[in-house]
Amino acid sequence: MDVWLDWARGPLFWTALAFMVLGLLRQAGLTVWSAVRTYRRAGDRQIPTRQVWRATLRWLVPTDRLRNRWPYSVTTVVLHAGVLLVPLFLAGHIALWQAAIGLAWPALPNALSTALTLAVLAGVVSVVIQRAVSPIARPLSRFQDYALPLLIGVTFASGFFVMHPAWNLFAFEPVMLTHVLSADLLFFLVPLSKLSHLILLPFTQLVSELAWHFPPDAGAKVAVALGKENEPV
Amino acid sequence: MATPKRYSYHVEESALAQADRPARFLKAFAAILEHGNYDLALDAYARMSAKCGRCAASCQLYEATGAEEDIPCHRSELLLRVYRRYFTQAGVLKARLFGGFTLTDEYLDEMAEAYYRCTACRRCKATCPLGLDHGLVTHVARWILAEVGIVPRALVVSVREQLAGETGNTSGIPVPALKDTVEFLEEELHDIYDVDIKYPFDVEGAEYVFFPAVSDYLMEADTLMGNAAVMHVTGGSWTIGTGNYDGINYGLFYSDRMMERIARNVVAEAKRLNARKILVGECGHATRSAWFIPTFCGPDAPRVVNCMEYTYDMLAAGKIPLKAEKILERVTYHDPCNIARVGRITEQPREILKAICSDYVEMTPNRTENYCCGGGGGTVSIDEIRAFRTSKLGKRKADQIRETGAQLVVSPCANCKKQLRELCQDNELGEVEVVGLHDLLLRVIDFGS
Repeated sequence: MDVWLDWARGPLFWTALAFMVLGLLRQAGLTVWSAVRTYRRAGDRQIPTRQVWRATLRWLVPTDRLRNRWPYSVTTVVLHAGVLLVPLFLAGHIALWQAAIGLAWPALPNALSTALTLAVLAGVVSVVIQRAVSPIARPLSRFQDYALPLLIGVTFASGFFVMHPAWNLFAFEPVMLTHVLSADLLFFLVPLSKLSHLILLPFTQLVSELAWHFPPDAGAKVAVALGKENEPV
Repeated sequence: MATPKRYSYHVEESALAQADRPARFLKAFAAILEHGNYDLALDAYARMSAKCGRCAASCQLYEATGAEEDIPCHRSELLLRVYRRYFTQAGVLKARLFGGFTLTDEYLDEMAEAYYRCTACRRCKATCPLGLDHGLVTHVARWILAEVGIVPRALVVSVREQLAGETGNTSGIPVPALKDTVEFLEEELHDIYDVDIKYPFDVEGAEYVFFPAVSDYLMEADTLMGNAAVMHVTGGSWTIGTGNYDGINYGLFYSDRMMERIARNVVAEAKRLNARKILVGECGHATRSAWFIPTFCGPDAPRVVNCMEYTYDMLAAGKIPLKAEKILERVTYHDPCNIARVGRITEQPREILKAICSDYVEMTPNRTENYCCGGGGGTVSIDEIRAFRTSKLGKRKADQIRETGAQLVVSPCANCKKQLRELCQDNELGEVEVVGLHDLLLRVIDFGS
């Protein structure tokens, strides 16, 4: 078990982390490159930047957008807050980083981390149930729409038991291994799934705006490409 | 001549006879991705669409039908699925290894139906946490479909007359008929308001060339008289060009290729007359498509001004004298999606109405969050779907109008006006009158004695 744990916390973790970081950086880079190319091709380069910024910030901090399907909205916002904050600011994680690379940063109080973890678990259950019973979301849902929140749930539940052994009904090592392996798997999946919105979300309002800025002669070029330049309307 | 029905709307017979549509659809899709600017957005949407369904809560069609196919995200997925499968490396590899989705005629038919149930009002964009613009997906999907002949006949016939017909406008109004109509309007202004107002034709060097929806010459006499009255009392330098007098651009609804050609024709007429600005009449889509003029004709193209912007500026400058008596009926305002959704023209009409009406009330929600009239995206021109437009697509708007208790609904858009009138007829709102903004303004302009 210890060998597996060392492998999951060591080579596999670093590989998964590198895969996620490089994958997200690649997506961000491609998006920026493509956005610049799109902008340069546009016939009208007047972008309503203030409007784009406002929409971007509004959705990065969506506090005024919670009324629309409020149970779903509130639980997903809490879920996102926990998923972002706990892995980065849990004292135990920071201690591991300090041991590995010598870097440390302020941690959340353990009680707050625990509360956020429980909120994430409640959020996962709530989101999955709401998705499963919602007449809107259920027919739209794919395998990943259920699998990803459940994987997040496994990661956080096992993390909770690692942090609170008194509540843990299982042996420590298998729970820790589950925690690390599920986190590693999540890292691998982030750039390959809808979780890529982790890096793409700040760009999407701009991306949507840019798409309406057509190249000046796109229509004529499409006509030529399709052999329709002399075709009657 | 009857057209065989395959969709809820009529298409040209030649379109139904076309072979190998999936391959041709993919070829058109590839060309549009290569030469257009849609690939960035489609790629981002295909990667991160979360399928949360929040968009459904803001879609008036889904509110009315509750049908899965009317969820904006579901509709967008129809095209994104094709994009993922055929235009991403992962999709191509996955298909080679495991097979799976293949574009078929039946799938094309599903898209053809879905993308004309949407009015492309873009209301759902404001509620998508990830910023997906489902109206954009509808826009590009319709263009690709049009390249394989799937486009409502009502739209393509209008564009054909505008680009290749003898009259060069969507209503088929020849110049002599236009001049007769205008002469009639001048007589009406004289008889009713005792004022001599002329509609100037082909005045070289005029500041503005006027491009209303050409159908206004047939349907909206009061709006056009109001436009002329404003230009008269403000001393505006304007003209109607006999080379092109149609602001309508149905290319916006189904093909950037057509939109580009129509927009260039508008600019050509303005340049022929050495005009500095294009004055668009009361028409939402004509205004929005004219806003694309810098795209197609460069930053030095004539500036586009909507007539409400002009009127508001003149009113604010005190150049439009008003009678002491205001409009007494209860009045409400419908925001046309094409000018209000992005917040470009929302306050000017309200300020004008507040200045001339004693009982002005708002619909809720309004401005950028307004509900579409139900005839947006060109669907109002498709007469064969009127029952769908006025029952399902327009139900929310009919409810809104009823809730205001208004006797007059003002909408500065030719398409919205047609839809709202049919909506009122079909929803027991027969006592409600739908008018243009300049119709009302005309009633209270003080021409002096």
